[in-house]
Amino acid sequence: MRDVIESDFIEIDNLSVTFEAKGRRVHAVQNVSLSVGAKQSFGLVGESGSGKSTILRAICGLAPVSGGAIRIAGEPVNTRNAKAFASRVQMVFQDPYASLHPRHTIDRTLSEPLAIHGIKGTDARVVRALEDVGLPASFRFRYPHQLSGGQRQRVAIARALMLEPEILLLDEPTSALDASVQAEVLNLLNRLRAEHGLTFLMVSHDLAVIDHMCDRILVMQHGRAVEELAREDLASARMKTEYARNLFAASADRMLGATSKD
Amino acid sequence: MSLLEIENLRVTFDTETGPVHAVRGVSFSLGRERLGIVGESGSGKTITGRSVLRLIRPPGRIEADRMRFDGIDLTKASEKQMRALRGPRLAMVMQDPKYSLNPVMRVGAQLMEGLLRRDRLGRAEARKKAIAALEAVQIRDPERVMEAWPHELSGGMGQRVMIAMMLIPEPDLLIADEPTSALDVTVQAEVMAILDGLVRERGMGLIFISHDLRLVARFCDRVLVMYRGKIVEELAAGDLMEAKHPYTQGLLNCLPRIGGPRKPLPGLDRTGDWANA
Repeated sequence: MRDVIESDFIEIDNLSVTFEAKGRRVHAVQNVSLSVGAKQSFGLVGESGSGKSTILRAICGLAPVSGGAIRIAGEPVNTRNAKAFASRVQMVFQDPYASLHPRHTIDRTLSEPLAIHGIKGTDARVVRALEDVGLPASFRFRYPHQLSGGQRQRVAIARALMLEPEILLLDEPTSALDASVQAEVLNLLNRLRAEHGLTFLMVSHDLAVIDHMCDRILVMQHGRAVEELAREDLASARMKTEYARNLFAASADRMLGATSKD
Repeated sequence: MSLLEIENLRVTFDTETGPVHAVRGVSFSLGRERLGIVGESGSGKTITGRSVLRLIRPPGRIEADRMRFDGIDLTKASEKQMRALRGPRLAMVMQDPKYSLNPVMRVGAQLMEGLLRRDRLGRAEARKKAIAALEAVQIRDPERVMEAWPHELSGGMGQRVMIAMMLIPEPDLLIADEPTSALDVTVQAEVMAILDGLVRERGMGLIFISHDLRLVARFCDRVLVMYRGKIVEELAAGDLMEAKHPYTQGLLNCLPRIGGPRKPLPGLDRTGDWANA
């Protein structure tokens, strides 16, 4: 793994993404800039259609970029070189019921990236990956339908880590999970980030989850960046824009009207 | 008189490996109020909701000592009577718009279907009502959504379309099964405000099924907490923070809080006697 020290590990400059459908142009992302330091954790929040997931997809070359630049460690992202890209950047998707192949065993799901990249020692790596995400070794030859949602998301995380990437793109990784399982998965992600020195770019609509996971937060609305906040600003409600304030006020966490002081 | 009375509801699925008891003796009654049912996946909250509409297919069995809706005995009602109740009087908003909307029918046609067939309205009238229903759930561009196919909608839009569809016949009791779990917080608050308004203005009863304790506490009058097919605690929503049961407390504590500590979130401790009861 390369060691990158500079503060702009992931740089997104004036990114625009435009979809064309039935002759209508939809500007999903408009002139959004952000930068994430190495081993940092950056959060994107906003409502559906705000373009937050589209940014992650654009990084992976899965969305039509119409302007701006995306650089990783100073170099423009080249998703055409799929192997090099995949060993550096991996994504974890929202729905663990849809992101695992239903007819592949966990073993096959986890060993496929190794086979594609010609990495040896599959057996030991798969065993280690399962252990890493806290799944018993006996799960190795099971199918996804034999696993619960939380267990599947652990498999999806294990798969993302098979190639030892530096960056994990997390697209609502816990919104399909129960609160108690969400806590376990968030704890797992935080532990893996510390152990593997990962950089996180995480999308969520849950401000409390983003606050728990990320150091800096970008609030988005209608494809545009609204406001960037440090974690401390969020906790003490020092947002400058009205939209960010509304989002904060509507957050389920505020609804109890009681803040914990533990 | 209460709108819905349920006593000792049991739902059992007979499987090859023996019976699975999904709901094990649930009793509650509901007036024209907002009742929340909270629990994790597999706690039986959705099955409880579906039982009220008798939407449990074999090998599932519903048994209850008493199950009455507005004086009608739901355990004895014929399938024909049930069909007449579902929709106009008892409605349910399902969890996942991806599986609950007809994928090969435009949204507008699905919204208008009931109005045309059940209420025998003309096309223009039905269209007007359907658009009004979409506006009521805060859809910005209802004309476009009417012409859209379900796969062209985002999760949040799909969910709102389903809520609009259920509200068109103005039911007396709405069972909402995780109606906002696919929505963002701002939209969530809007949708809850819509449901809230309906309870107040039309005197509708609402059963709100969710895994999100905080949301339920905010919008319901009363909360039932379910675990493994049983109600473990019943609380006035305002007293949620004073919950006594370790399961309820665990559910509350495992949620991250804005400005909360960065240490690992506490998991749910299932070692107590209650967990195996």
